[in-house]
Amino acid sequence: MNKELLIETKQLQKKYVTDTVETTALAGVDLRIAKGEFVAIMGPSGCGKSTLLNILGLLDSPSGGMFKFQGEDITHASERQRAKIRKHNLGFVFQSFNLIDELTVEENIALPLAYLGVSKAETEKRVTEAMERMGIAHRRNHFPQQLSGGQQQRAAIARATVSSPSLILADEPTGNLDSVHGREVMALLTELNEAGTTVVMVTHSPSDAEYAHRIVNLFDGQIVTENLNVRKHAAELL
Amino acid sequence: MLQNYFKVALRNLYRNKVYSAINIAGLALGVASCILIFLYVQDELSYDSQFSDADRIVRVAGEIEHDGQTNKFALSAPTLAPFLLKDYPELEHVTQLLPANKQTIWYKDRSFNEDKLLFADSAFFEVFDYKFLAGNPATALDQPRTIVVSEQMAQKYFGSPDKALGEVLKFSRDSYRVTGVFTDEGNSHIQANAFLARSTFDTQQQDVLTDNNHWFMLSRYTYVLLRDEAQIAPFQEKLKTFAATHITPWLKENDLQASVKFVLQPLRSIHFNTEYTEDISTPGNISYIYIFSVVAVFLLLIASINYMNLATARSAKRAREVGLRKVVGAYRSQIIGQFIGESLLITLLAVILALALAQILVPTFNSLTDKQFNSNFFLQKEVIVVLLAIILFIGAVAGSYPAIFLSRFKPVDVLKADKAPRGGNAALRRSLVVIQFTISLILIIGTLVVFSQMRFLKNRDLGFNKEQVLIIDIPTGDSTLVNQLPSIKQELLRNPNIEHVSNSLNIPAGDLSTILVYAEKDGGTLQNAMNAMFVDYDFVDVMGIDLKEGRNFSKEFKTDLKGGLIVNEAAVKKMQWKNPIGKRIQMADWDAKVIGVVKDFHVKSLHSKVEPLILALTPESSGYLLVRMKPQDMPATIAFVQEKWQAFDTKHPMEYFFMDEYFDKQYRAEEKMLTVFGYFAGLTIFIACLGLFGLASFTAQQRTKEIGIRKVLGSSTTSIVLLLSRDFAVLVMVAILIAIPIAWYGMDKWLQDFAYRTNLSWWIFAVAGLAAMSIALLTVSFQAIKAAMLDPIKAIRTQ
Ligand SMILES: Nc1ncnc2c1ncn2[C@@H]1O[C@H](COP(=O)(O)OP(=O)(O)O)[C@@H](O)[C@H]1O
Ligand SMILES: [Mg+2]
Repeated sequence: MNKELLIETKQLQKKYVTDTVETTALAGVDLRIAKGEFVAIMGPSGCGKSTLLNILGLLDSPSGGMFKFQGEDITHASERQRAKIRKHNLGFVFQSFNLIDELTVEENIALPLAYLGVSKAETEKRVTEAMERMGIAHRRNHFPQQLSGGQQQRAAIARATVSSPSLILADEPTGNLDSVHGREVMALLTELNEAGTTVVMVTHSPSDAEYAHRIVNLFDGQIVTENLNVRKHAAELL
Repeated sequence: MLQNYFKVALRNLYRNKVYSAINIAGLALGVASCILIFLYVQDELSYDSQFSDADRIVRVAGEIEHDGQTNKFALSAPTLAPFLLKDYPELEHVTQLLPANKQTIWYKDRSFNEDKLLFADSAFFEVFDYKFLAGNPATALDQPRTIVVSEQMAQKYFGSPDKALGEVLKFSRDSYRVTGVFTDEGNSHIQANAFLARSTFDTQQQDVLTDNNHWFMLSRYTYVLLRDEAQIAPFQEKLKTFAATHITPWLKENDLQASVKFVLQPLRSIHFNTEYTEDISTPGNISYIYIFSVVAVFLLLIASINYMNLATARSAKRAREVGLRKVVGAYRSQIIGQFIGESLLITLLAVILALALAQILVPTFNSLTDKQFNSNFFLQKEVIVVLLAIILFIGAVAGSYPAIFLSRFKPVDVLKADKAPRGGNAALRRSLVVIQFTISLILIIGTLVVFSQMRFLKNRDLGFNKEQVLIIDIPTGDSTLVNQLPSIKQELLRNPNIEHVSNSLNIPAGDLSTILVYAEKDGGTLQNAMNAMFVDYDFVDVMGIDLKEGRNFSKEFKTDLKGGLIVNEAAVKKMQWKNPIGKRIQMADWDAKVIGVVKDFHVKSLHSKVEPLILALTPESSGYLLVRMKPQDMPATIAFVQEKWQAFDTKHPMEYFFMDEYFDKQYRAEEKMLTVFGYFAGLTIFIACLGLFGLASFTAQQRTKEIGIRKVLGSSTTSIVLLLSRDFAVLVMVAILIAIPIAWYGMDKWLQDFAYRTNLSWWIFAVAGLAAMSIALLTVSFQAIKAAMLDPIKAIRTQ
């Protein structure tokens, strides 16, 4: 592929040590993700999907191996450096939405911009845009508890995208949703990807994985297969 | 961003009402007490600071050493002033104050009894720059028979300070022309209703003065204004040689076996001087300042601990927010900032509430402490500074622990759907609870000890019967009235409910006379300064003092007049007399023999031991009239006394009081402090329990599932309440074990101040411990019972 690399890992390892037990969550993962890709990570429960996503999202640091983000080696970056990269480049979507209960929908979405120091007027504009795109503008002054699961997840996506990140990481984004709302969320992610944002998504659902360009199958902390999503690439290949 | 923090903080407060109420109420109570304590401390420390030259003014106090014993007086000799002025050019002014007796003052048709009257010389207002509302301080006291009155006095006699100048006030002996009106701004140890020109006194007493012109006559307060503050220490040094040059030759010449020396007291330290007796006004007690300051810090500490404990206990609830903020790129420092800001906000709210509370409490506090704090105290610059300091201190110190703790959460740990972190460091939280209860317990024990000591003092046998004695303060300087005393006594005794009547110069808890005596000892004589009471034939009977040996004064023995004395047991002991009756004592122009020995009785408060005392017979004594009444029909008897007395004395407003109240007034300061202390002790335990209540509710919540399972398995409600309460009971127990030795040590020290004191009995500690334990368990069990009563099925479902 001739596309510019966004993420590159070599022999990425993660070990958890608790009291007496040592768990190897990742045992040498080599992964390359280009800008603009939509990658799905699949695998059985406990195989290390979330661990991998958290490391890719700079929420956690690896215990071994190498990790490059936008061509820069950040394997040993400090917490502050990683926070800075997160703030400028990344958006997260979680299975359990993770909205702040004490903030309204609008305030939740505005949060990343606040940490970026975006002006009030600009924030107002971008938050409104994001809410309109997600179809939740009419609920801007509600608190998360007052929203349905689907609406909460759309608010979460709005929050993840409001700062126009180059990479969106989603950990089972449809896990807590019924199929109708799940499909809605997948459509939104695809839309974002088509607009140029790289998306890395962990999922259990093969149908969700269908939306991705590429599927990475993880087992016991190792990549077992990487298949190109044929249907997606049909146009390109043929 | 700030707006965002602010909203989150406020919404959190609003959504967790119990938690917020506990925090804010606890802090507010603590801060309100701090404000009041600060006002008190500031007020006490402000004494005499209003005088512009306060730093250059010192008082010269006298120490008399005799027989290895040193008696320290706030007074010095009249003759000191001219010597000082002559010998020391570094002194700008020397001025002396001489307290006058209580006087009746007449103006037109008005008359009042006035105390706090001081004779002052013309240099006085050069040293102390009182503000004058009328008149010229520089010349006000230059002429004899002039008087400078206080604003209140001017108001009382003339209706207004501007009408005072030139008016004439009549005293029983002289008339005084008003030459100035001063205002009493700020606190001073010099409490005066009026200053009288000393030249009047000096001319009146010319003969006496020259006669008593010696160094032992400590009768005046001597103040010195130095040219420079830096000269105080060198001047003190020079005073040491003063005695050698001026006093020692005089001692030799008069063959006196005692010595006297003079020391300096910086003006601003005088209010807290308890070492030098006979001060102008009752001194303050510096230890109350320390105790109060410590209590203030304790209260803040306890309230801050509530904040820290509840914030971390509740941290699970905030963890997700922290994780999320980090996910979207918040730095740890930003999170710390947010939580510190939040605690600053809570403290600010608490301070606002505290101001309102303090405002409401000011009148009560005033009556408890005998102060006059204004309700707009918070406009004071110092108070604002203190409040800001409190906000910063609590906000930053109490806030930083939860802030650091919360900001440490990692998003990967806290954002997992399935598990939430446990709230905070339980061991630290337990230690903090122990600290809270230790402090509360120390204060409770302290209060109980003070209380039992007060009870001890009041119930102790004083060696005389202080009950049912009415005392009339006989106006001074009215010789006709004094001549009528025998008839008055006779008249009063006609009432069957009046048992005895006595007129004396001295009364218990009042001033004693100190005289130089030469007593027979081992064939020679011993020179000694002794306390004396000048009394009549009936004093011993009125007082109900027991005779141990010999007899009372009697009219049948003509030789008793200037020839007979009664001494107390302490005097016999001091003289080491085996057979005291008949021993010779010479004093002034008396040459007397001991005719009786009385059992020791307390003429002073129980702070001090019974000292050697002489009862000297002067049947014409005209200080006080003591009336011993029978307990029945007291109001009628009192009315009778009043009527009879006023029939004889038509000129003066009658003043009377009761001996028991007068004597117990000596413990008034302690009583007041006991009340204040009691309130604070109650407050600390209350605030500590507020925190405990919050913690218990948190624990119960956390253990809901466990409780449910236990119930399903057959646990009774009682056993679950016990289970939940046990942990807290252990903490209180630990606090009791720590508090007891500390309180024991501290209160034992406090009791050393009293010559007669109660024992630190075990029941005080038992009661305090039991009380703290019960209050704590009551607080906890409320939550525990609530949790134990929950439907187990619901409990298990609750996550
Ligand atoms: N904080 C942790 N401490 C200890 N072990 C952990 C931790 N997080 C994950 N693990 C373990 O690492 C392995 C991979 O977990 P995870 O990445 O969450 O799996 P997945 O998301 O694929 O279900 C599991 O065995 C899990 O128990
Ligand atoms: Mg997972």
